[in-house]
Amino acid sequence: MNAILEALDRYAHWAARWPVLAALAPFVPVVALWWGVAAAGVFPRAFFPAPPDVLQSFLTLTYKGILPAYLEDSIGRLAAGVSVGILLGIPLGILVGLSGVARKALWPVLLFFQAIGDIAWLPLLLIWFGFGLGTMTFVIVYTVIFPVVINTALGVRSIPPELVRAAQSLGAPRWRILTDVILPGALPNIMTGLRNGLGYGWRALIAAEIIVGTSGIGFLMFDARRAGSAVEIVLGMIVLGLLWYIVDAWILAPIERATGQRWGLVTRA
Amino acid sequence: MKSLTLRNLHKTYFDPAVGTRVTAIQDVSLEIGPGEFVAVVGPAGCGKSTILNMVAGFLPATRGDIIVGDRPVKGPGRDRGVVFQNFALLPWKTVIDNVGFGLKMRGIAKPERDRIAMEFLELAGLSHAAERYPNELSGGMQQRAGVVRALANEPDVLLMDEPFASVDAQTRMTLQEELMRIWGERRHTVLFITHDVGEAVFLADRVVVLSKGHVLREIPITIPRPRG
Repeated sequence: MNAILEALDRYAHWAARWPVLAALAPFVPVVALWWGVAAAGVFPRAFFPAPPDVLQSFLTLTYKGILPAYLEDSIGRLAAGVSVGILLGIPLGILVGLSGVARKALWPVLLFFQAIGDIAWLPLLLIWFGFGLGTMTFVIVYTVIFPVVINTALGVRSIPPELVRAAQSLGAPRWRILTDVILPGALPNIMTGLRNGLGYGWRALIAAEIIVGTSGIGFLMFDARRAGSAVEIVLGMIVLGLLWYIVDAWILAPIERATGQRWGLVTRA
Repeated sequence: MKSLTLRNLHKTYFDPAVGTRVTAIQDVSLEIGPGEFVAVVGPAGCGKSTILNMVAGFLPATRGDIIVGDRPVKGPGRDRGVVFQNFALLPWKTVIDNVGFGLKMRGIAKPERDRIAMEFLELAGLSHAAERYPNELSGGMQQRAGVVRALANEPDVLLMDEPFASVDAQTRMTLQEELMRIWGERRHTVLFITHDVGEAVFLADRVVVLSKGHVLREIPITIPRPRG
């Protein structure tokens, strides 16, 4: 019993020093279970690859340059779509949040179009833009923009009116109210919208690549199905999960720690 | 310092719950001389905060005039500094940036506004907390910052809306004494809203009793300072 406690203490010590360890440790049992099932030979190896097979496939595809190139394509498409979505979504969200007229006019329309899933647009988009970047960008922008607009609007509306009044009494002109009160006040909600938008956008991208693509992680997975290569499909799934974790841990979470959490506007999860 | 004049002030608004127009403020006239400290007391719902909100320019008056010095009030402005019941510090700015916010709006450069803000933080005994965020401060410290944020912007009139109602009793007494010390040095024109008669008598030159939207009585307080 004491030995277990001691081991836990030691783990806590190392995990505090290297956060990577704390992030990886929970996957040890998952991988062990996967490996165990694969090694037991319950399923044919070709349908249920083991971790070394996937690692081998990872090394081969990286060495051939296919995986890096596809990764670059997917991330590039996502980045382009998300950037456009943010640039359109945040100003629109602020407008909807600040103006009662804009809210009354746009809210039902927003909810209506949000309900039509991104994938549901694909048939029409294929007729309009064909099998290309236009279709994929449209799908990602479409997916990202709604959570960003809706959460930005909610964030703007959640700002206590006294904060705006205080800034006005201190002599702030309208554009200063926007930059120094509205934007930072809505930032925690904007981050939530971004997080949701990125998550949905990533999924939409994979779906679009499966149907439209000529490259990208989604294409890699669907192409592997044609070739009957389960190992590459599993590799694709793992890459998706890892990428999302990296975006969250290296980009989103640090921004949230430095803003909303620091200011006491949101409590840490 | 400038005078603050309220002349035949009325405020009515449409109450959807009742379905008719309701009178919140009825023919209130008040003359606050330069450097005078006037407290308005009354129970909840008597309209005292409505008066402050109109003077601050947050709410339009239905009828009547509000004049600071010789200029009629049109909307919020930096000639009237406001101290809020819930402090209303900007959570994303440090204490020193909150206190320097009004100076920043006037285009004063960062080193100069930090110097001025620091002077005011020292006045409030807050210089050690300059780089902290408001949520890291106690309620009493936040309101000290709220008071000097208004003062640092050199307003003609200071409007205080139940500023000590959301801190504990002990802190409230300390803050009242500190306010008296600062006011004694600088003699701002103050309109102070409170529901606490004791607080009004302790602080003010004159107490205005408000009831159901109109002035019931005006009582000069002649007790020599310091009181307590």
